[in-house]
Amino acid sequence: MSEKVYNIDDLQNINVEGEKYIILQIGPSHPGSGHMRLKVWLDGDIIVKVDPDIGFVHRTSEWLSERREWIKAVPIVERIMLPDTVHANLAYVLTVEKLLGIEPPPRAQYLRSLVAEINRITSHLYGIGIFGIFLGSSTVYMWAFGDREPFIDLMEMLTGARITTSYIIPGGVRWDLPNGFKERAETVLQYMERRLKDYEDIWVKNPVVQARTINVGTLKKEDAIRLGVVGPNLRASGVYYDTRKHHPYAAYSNLDFEVPTMKNGDSYDRLLIRVEEIKQSIKLIRQILKDIPEGKIIADQIYNQLNPVMKKNYEEKKRVMFPAFMIHMRPPAGEASAKVEAGRGEIFFYIKSTGDKYPYRFRWVTPSFRNLPYFTHVTVGHRLADLPTIYGSIDYFPPEADR
Amino acid sequence: MGIIPLILWLIQDLLYIIIFPGLVTILVVVVIIIWLERKIAAKVQMRFGPLWVSKKIGGALQSLADLLRYSFQEVIIPEKTDKWAFILAPGLMFAFATIALIFIPVGPYYSVLFPSYYTILFSLALIIITPIFAITVGWASDNKFSFIGALREGFLLISYEIPFLLSVVSMVIIFHTYDYINAVQNQLSFLPGIILNPLAALTMLIVMIRTTGRFPFDITEADSELVMGLFTEYSALFFGVGMATPYVELYNFSLIFSLLFLGGWWPFTLNVMNPVYGLILPGIIVVVKAFIVMAVLVFLRAVYPRYRLDQAVRSGWSYVLLLSILSVILSVVEVMFLR
Amino acid sequence: MSEVRKPRDPLTGHVKALAKGFKYLVEPNRMTLDYPAETMKLPPNYRGFFTVDDKKCIGCSMCEMVCPPEAITMVPRIIGEGGKTIPAPEGEKEVKGPKRTKRPVVNWGKCIFCYFCVDVCPVDAFIPTQVHDLAFEKDSEYRPSYEDYLKPPEEPYKNSKKVISKADLKRGVSYEPAP
Repeated sequence: MSEKVYNIDDLQNINVEGEKYIILQIGPSHPGSGHMRLKVWLDGDIIVKVDPDIGFVHRTSEWLSERREWIKAVPIVERIMLPDTVHANLAYVLTVEKLLGIEPPPRAQYLRSLVAEINRITSHLYGIGIFGIFLGSSTVYMWAFGDREPFIDLMEMLTGARITTSYIIPGGVRWDLPNGFKERAETVLQYMERRLKDYEDIWVKNPVVQARTINVGTLKKEDAIRLGVVGPNLRASGVYYDTRKHHPYAAYSNLDFEVPTMKNGDSYDRLLIRVEEIKQSIKLIRQILKDIPEGKIIADQIYNQLNPVMKKNYEEKKRVMFPAFMIHMRPPAGEASAKVEAGRGEIFFYIKSTGDKYPYRFRWVTPSFRNLPYFTHVTVGHRLADLPTIYGSIDYFPPEADR
Repeated sequence: MGIIPLILWLIQDLLYIIIFPGLVTILVVVVIIIWLERKIAAKVQMRFGPLWVSKKIGGALQSLADLLRYSFQEVIIPEKTDKWAFILAPGLMFAFATIALIFIPVGPYYSVLFPSYYTILFSLALIIITPIFAITVGWASDNKFSFIGALREGFLLISYEIPFLLSVVSMVIIFHTYDYINAVQNQLSFLPGIILNPLAALTMLIVMIRTTGRFPFDITEADSELVMGLFTEYSALFFGVGMATPYVELYNFSLIFSLLFLGGWWPFTLNVMNPVYGLILPGIIVVVKAFIVMAVLVFLRAVYPRYRLDQAVRSGWSYVLLLSILSVILSVVEVMFLR
Repeated sequence: MSEVRKPRDPLTGHVKALAKGFKYLVEPNRMTLDYPAETMKLPPNYRGFFTVDDKKCIGCSMCEMVCPPEAITMVPRIIGEGGKTIPAPEGEKEVKGPKRTKRPVVNWGKCIFCYFCVDVCPVDAFIPTQVHDLAFEKDSEYRPSYEDYLKPPEEPYKNSKKVISKADLKRGVSYEPAP
């Protein structure tokens, strides 16, 4: 093994041409790579350079959405970020609402926050589970994926689908709270609170995990800001920024919650911040279910266009059907953008309308794409075995980054 | 020697080779321990584990079904491998792990080829050979992941070999013998080894976890880094053999542990030269003890992730080595003061 | 948040981790659904396979227009006796006249079960079901004819035990026999 001591700053611009390094091609079909390829230059066991090669699951979501009616983009953006469907859906609908000039009623806003928080918990559990299997702990993988189940069941009860809910539409949401939802949600939240203690014993405070993650993949506060990383990873580096707090959408301006931040910005902090955010989401769901106002779940502009059959359905089954407006929607010419705090960070949407039945420009940036600098900047100087640690701790989801 | 005793002698030898501690036992042990490992992990992880193959007995035949599947898979030998080494190394690895069993007795009147006063040395020598073939596998595969896996195996091998030998040596000092049977008789007349020298037992346990690749030292096969470690390029029965070898080693180590530290066939102390009392009953007791040890070790999979290579090597050269040296000193002190 | 980060000392950590693992080992706490032996009775708003009410449908093509994956095609039909439709003559693309109408057929290979079509229907003619686990052997089964599409989807594993999921304090999700 080389005795050379590496300085991370020197390695940022290292020239690997002509040097004798082991070049590992991790991925695209590798248990530790996901849908991407990581080209790794190794000096002995030390990583000298990492070149992430993305785009293996590019699905042209922007191109597809520019050639379809506005409403048809809802399932498309959902399918880009499958662990995080509600946030993609919400971000898109918020942008369209800004173009249309529709303001959803308060109850719909609360329902949006409710599914978003349920989805944030499932997304973080997904991240913790993948982190677990990357470090070799199949128990945390199974537990986290199993514990998504009660929350996915809640989503299924509310929206009729487990993952791809398509729940949020311009003007409101599609279904109202079903009977018995509040009681069930309370049971699930209590269960999750109890389970978080189990996670603490077997995963978060496990000495092996601490040995593997503390001071591994540290990104300092200034560097995190400079590289433009988002979401829990940014907050783990100590930056107090959360779109829900700083640019509130849905019902977040009425809700009381904390934005947890950490100091060190290493893999352990990135793990802890997800656990802390799950706790905050539990608090938020309780608050939403307590405070949720009565009233319509769809904006009046949409409700007035419903025909008598649809209105009857709305009154009886608490179900919003689509007026013909949904198909023939033509938002007035203009530009709009929206930001949403998804599980992995901030989604940014930009849409330009020319008053046509298709969007003219449809652009969005997903959080995983903005967290990509971690691979090139943070891994260098660590050992090969730390690569999965860093990958797992930033909760990177390749299909989301490729869009 | 008449013809009938000769035939009986031959039959006895065949039984040794085929039934115990031969291939049938190895197969049964590997099948049961793999099933047990998966079931234990499944219970901790809130699921069923193997079930639908032989549902009535909890899916116990799942490993046999896997073995069948491996047997009928296509054997793929990549072009640039060192063919002889690639084909022979897994087999030799398995063979040496199995041969080591011959020298591990399970009863007071049990010896396969010849009675010997040096069974501990023989079995240790054979056990220590197996990792060399693991390194051969990595070298022959012509795959960077296998190669890195082999290098890791080498690093760990060197750093955990000395503690292993020292922990056994400290027991040899206490029992004053190189023979397992004598070692057990010593324990039966006094105290089990784990009480005599707990430090050696702890060292031995850590080394067992490391050598057989149990968590948290599952470093050579770390799938999120090295795909399948050493056996990345292997397929079919070769892969199956490679996968079974750590379990055979685990069985070896567990037998040694139960003989040296858990009192062997204690509480059965009847000293009669008889197939039932001399072999079967003590044999069952020893194997049950070994299974308990194995169950504890495979249970660790459900609790721990894996350490990094440098952390494991560092702890091997510091804590574990220190522990093993302390265990030798403890043994010397005990021998000086107790005897 | 520094109190959250405070590391546990290794000995306590190992003991607590092992104890927790052992607790789950001796008290199995399974949340698995033993799937083909037990199947779920899903909530009534679950979005499964759906069919159409031939008499209610007015052939307005709204569902075809809203379908995001373009899975719905309209087939030409003729209104027969009692409001039921019969196939239009072969080779006729344009359907005109008072008795001519259209009916939707879903290509299950494309459908994503977003239920936009169900919600956009002005007469609420679609009949949703909770069947979600159908498998098709042939390509032609993915694209049923209109007559086949009208048949309500058959639930697989009819002999299985029907259960409903329930939130549970001990194991998150538990399954109890359906009423």
